[in-house]
Amino acid sequence: MNARNTTGVPAEGMRRRRFLTTAALGGATIVGASALGGLDADAAFAAEPSLDPAIAKSSFVEGRITGITGSVLEVAGSGGGHARVQMTHVTSVWKVRPATAEVIEVGDGLYARGVPMPDGTVAADAVWVNIVNLDTTIRGIARNRVHLAHGQHEVVGNILTDTGASYAGRGLTSDLSRLRIGQSAQVLGAWRPSDDSVDVVRISVGH
Amino acid sequence: MLSLTTGLLPLLLAGLLGWTGAAKALGPDVVVTAPKTALARLLSSSERAARVLRATGWAELLLAGALLAAPGSALPGAATALLGAGFLGYLGYGRARAPQATCGCSASEDTPVTWRAFARAALVLAGGLTAAVARRTWWGALGDRPAASAALLAVGALVLAALSADLDRRLLLPLRRLLLRVFGHPLTGRGGAPRVPVAASVELLEHSLAWHTTSPVVRSALLDHWESDGWRILHYSGVHGEGDTARPVAVLFALDATAGRDTPGDPVIRVSYVDADTGAPVAAEELRAAPARRSLRLVE
Repeated sequence: MNARNTTGVPAEGMRRRRFLTTAALGGATIVGASALGGLDADAAFAAEPSLDPAIAKSSFVEGRITGITGSVLEVAGSGGGHARVQMTHVTSVWKVRPATAEVIEVGDGLYARGVPMPDGTVAADAVWVNIVNLDTTIRGIARNRVHLAHGQHEVVGNILTDTGASYAGRGLTSDLSRLRIGQSAQVLGAWRPSDDSVDVVRISVGH
Repeated sequence: MLSLTTGLLPLLLAGLLGWTGAAKALGPDVVVTAPKTALARLLSSSERAARVLRATGWAELLLAGALLAAPGSALPGAATALLGAGFLGYLGYGRARAPQATCGCSASEDTPVTWRAFARAALVLAGGLTAAVARRTWWGALGDRPAASAALLAVGALVLAALSADLDRRLLLPLRRLLLRVFGHPLTGRGGAPRVPVAASVELLEHSLAWHTTSPVVRSALLDHWESDGWRILHYSGVHGEGDTARPVAVLFALDATAGRDTPGDPVIRVSYVDADTGAPVAAEELRAAPARRSLRLVE
């Protein structure tokens, strides 16, 4: 059995993956589909409170990270407030793709879901770093980037190896060759503070 | 070369002022653009801003004419420099007070003020000062060295065009479209065989009954993923049980690595909970109790 991934994983991680693979393939098989909201990057923008009992108690934190003290993130809300987000060992971190807490930097934008603690912190289940969801128009297409117009702003979108596209509401595909200049495009991605560009995770056209 | 440049400067300045002046004085876009300019903020009235833009346009046209007709005299050059200085001050005000507002410099642009507008105004100021002290006529310079003059004028026009944001839309877009047509779509055949992105597997999972069944347990977003023998394993964390019996579990999904939401047929998804501390399977019976539901068959 060979488990593989794009990123380098240490031997300890590989052993754990092999064990978890065995567990996963030995699990119950469930067939069928139903429409239900998700917890992936899209869920960061789900405004409706979930009916899921696990999520009903959740609260959201949004803003810029002003400091990192141990496993606590200091967050200045864009509305002026201040919040403290406690990272735990099961907090999932998203920064362009699933990541670990080490990738979080001071100055990053943050969107977190978690449970309020008695000491005023929010223990995070999931943290999305620099996530953006932009309504844009495609103004140019090159080999490793797309030029986007967002309102009156020109935005450069970096195409990654795993950037996905969705055409007319259909499922995600890695085929980006059907993008056209002039199309309206919804871009889900991660803002890069260093050069103010956006790493495109998913681009939806004809939605 | 220097004398040639100073000789031809009035011609370039007249071209620029003639173009922006005509757009402002005669163009139909002024009334539409005026409310979006920093000028409207400064004068707190769109109508007044439109009138001032029109007047500025006529002044620029007048200056352009004077630069062409009387290149030897100091007055048109000095007035152009004054106009450039005024533009710089106005742009500075606009940048400070209304960063989102447009400059209105050529009436049709609707992009915020950038360094290019400043550079263009600074060129008008410097060009005006140079023209004011120059004693050479542009037709003299043109007559002496026609080839060099033409090249210099072309370069000057290119620089001015590059500094005008409203030409982007007219030039850049058709240019990019043409490049795509000539060289083909640059994103075709990226990275060899078409692969199903991990996000597509997550999307498929989150529309599945498996997700519906496990969602009260799952507490994280995707933590890790990898592929093994054609399966794509998605790893989440969760909490199973209530109160005293609650314990952290790893929630594992295994699904076909080549399946997406558009793949025909029902997706098969394997689910298991593994105790995060002991590694033992948890609640296998509970998951098996989930009904194996299939989509409804279409009536033919």
